[in-house]
Amino acid sequence: MGSDYDLSDDGEYYDEEMFDGTQDDDSEDDIEMENFGDDFKIPSKGKKKSYEVDYESLSQQDVESLMQKDVDYICGIFGVDVDTASLLLRHMKWNKEKLTEQYMDNLTAVMVAAGASASEETTPSSPIRTHSASSPTGTTTRRPSTRAASKLFGSKPAKPTPSRPIQRQPSKKPDEPFVCQICFNDAPDMQTLALDCEHTFCTECWTDYVVSKIRDESEHSIRCMAENCALVCPDSFLRGLLVPEPGAPVGDKEKEEQNLKAWSRLQELFVRYFVACNANLKFCPYPSCTNTVSCPSAASKSSLTTIVPTVSCGARGIGGESQEMSQSQQLGLSIKGKEHKFCFGCPIEGDHRPVICNVAKMWLKKCRDDSETANWIKSNTKECTNCQSTIEKNGGCNHMTCKKCKHEFCWVCMGPWSEHGTAWYSCNRYDEKTGVEARDAQSRSRASLERYLHYYNRWANHEQSAKLSLDLYAKTEKKMEEMQITSDLTWIEVQFMKKAVEEVDKCRMTLKWTYAMAYYLAKGNEKDLFEDNQRDLEKAVEDLSELLESPIEADNIPTLRQQVTNKTVYVQKRNEIVLEDTANGFMEGRWRWNVAVDGFDAPDEVVL
Amino acid sequence: MSGICRTRLAEERKQWRKDHPFGFYAKPAKASDGSMNLMEWEVGIPGKPKTAWEGGLYKLVMIFPEDYPSKPPKCKFTPPLFHPNVYPSGTVCLSILDEEKSWKPAITIKQILLGIQDLLDNPNVNDPAQSDAYTMFKNDKVAYERRVKQQARDNIPK
Repeated sequence: MGSDYDLSDDGEYYDEEMFDGTQDDDSEDDIEMENFGDDFKIPSKGKKKSYEVDYESLSQQDVESLMQKDVDYICGIFGVDVDTASLLLRHMKWNKEKLTEQYMDNLTAVMVAAGASASEETTPSSPIRTHSASSPTGTTTRRPSTRAASKLFGSKPAKPTPSRPIQRQPSKKPDEPFVCQICFNDAPDMQTLALDCEHTFCTECWTDYVVSKIRDESEHSIRCMAENCALVCPDSFLRGLLVPEPGAPVGDKEKEEQNLKAWSRLQELFVRYFVACNANLKFCPYPSCTNTVSCPSAASKSSLTTIVPTVSCGARGIGGESQEMSQSQQLGLSIKGKEHKFCFGCPIEGDHRPVICNVAKMWLKKCRDDSETANWIKSNTKECTNCQSTIEKNGGCNHMTCKKCKHEFCWVCMGPWSEHGTAWYSCNRYDEKTGVEARDAQSRSRASLERYLHYYNRWANHEQSAKLSLDLYAKTEKKMEEMQITSDLTWIEVQFMKKAVEEVDKCRMTLKWTYAMAYYLAKGNEKDLFEDNQRDLEKAVEDLSELLESPIEADNIPTLRQQVTNKTVYVQKRNEIVLEDTANGFMEGRWRWNVAVDGFDAPDEVVL
Repeated sequence: MSGICRTRLAEERKQWRKDHPFGFYAKPAKASDGSMNLMEWEVGIPGKPKTAWEGGLYKLVMIFPEDYPSKPPKCKFTPPLFHPNVYPSGTVCLSILDEEKSWKPAITIKQILLGIQDLLDNPNVNDPAQSDAYTMFKNDKVAYERRVKQQARDNIPK
């Protein structure tokens, strides 16, 4: 993993194993200064808290500059042009080391496989190979094509700016009328194009083909239209097709727009591919957001056992089209959906701090699988006292016969039926010794279910409350207006309400996940401390929530303001304590689980 | 693209009439009012000589999408054929007919049909499309051969 996407202002926190920094370190700084100057804001943080990770949000342009840097690097050492370097890098999944190695090893093979130079098998009249022609990229040839050769051995300096396509000349012979083999157009003034394989087709067919590949198939590696030809269209060729040259006569407006759309989609596809190839980068999962986050400290799987990489791509709100929204939703968006927060390490939406990805994932899976079922089982069934099969009584008398083990028992007292004699429909033997024992066994087996439901209900409760916070926000907004009318407070002075609501919302998120964490924590001192912190936070949050809901009267506003502000600060502090302590615990390896968790030692004993 | 689609198909038709491989036929379907529908072709593919498929003429419909030739035509045996790479619906599973695999706009109808003819006796076991023919081909070559020969007899042109 060659990761030199080091965009930080200070490089001190980089994970050693992720950063092999063997090459082009020196050229990095000036490139950064050039490209990231204005539109790329480095978050001005104070001292980093232990529950925060260092990350950088990158716009599409930023990622493009990163790509350009790699391309320039390859151009520099191989002496190839930008187009060829891009094709080679994409073919090698942007792995420069591997590319260099293979290139030195067998440059012709790499060039052909990347679709950057034609293999000699690719002639228009080659015999049709049908069903087994799955991927023609694996073919090798002994003779590089003329263009590749000139590029490989010529010492043309690579220019960083993409040039206009050199292929953009009609390659037809002047004496012979050209007929495009796709559309069979033979107009004499037709524009034609060909890649280095010289499979010539008319410009219109090329454009239609390229646009449909990009638009319908989201494909960024577009091969020549000729059968079996594995040559890939280089970027400048595609640009020439899709982007009208400045000053060119305006053609079909609609078509031109469609082409430009395809071009910008192509740029996004390139960026997405680059991001997907790089473990340090992750694309923002929010709909129609095109930002990327770079978080090298969370790139390795092992790092996810010690940190929770909650990141934010820097964009706000839902991008693009505005949808129909109710007022409270709109208000909610401005508070809730404002940041694109997500976890760098796993696909869970939003912030699952303080609990680490693996445990959060485990918990969500358990909830999805078990919660409803567990609730139902708990309220509708009992277990056979002999074989522990779960039994639902759906009618009949209290004399139960287990379908599985044929054990006969009484549904009311759970004791064996033999003690009931002939009292068929009533059980008056509750205190019988065997009955008590049977109930004990039952309650023990129910305990684990209870335990789970205890945590689940609290978890779900906070989730529910967080959802309701949209309404709470709308209500608060109203209250803030009211306050401005009934008291002499100004708009800025009533902002304490908004701040309080935001804080409550944030803390509920934390609380929610602490229950997932507590469920899996092994019993002991550490867990007790954790639950103490959890309890303190919970109490503080509920107090503040209550304050926010309380009615407003003109004469109590100053006290209310005082109280809310105080509580908000306190809640904030409690939240920080929980997050900080948990995060430190992960770093120190303090937490023990009651189940096996990837990356941790197996639990010593299962004590629930 | 529809402009290109029809010109291309008209030209394909012209080329086919000028020259086509022996034993094949391919013509645009006739609509009920007698007019020609260029977007749907009726095709016959003969089994290769000296194979179990010899003697049969297998009927196929080619349905061309509006964005042909950017997108490949759909090729469907009517009735569905007993062959590992033919779906129960009759649709042929072939890499050159898959836009995400090897389809290229420059592939002609003639090349498609020759490709399908080649596929008949060279099934691709890595890409089975129906279980009957696939399991028989894998487990009992003799029975498979017998079944294919029977199918060839059933498809002798009248």
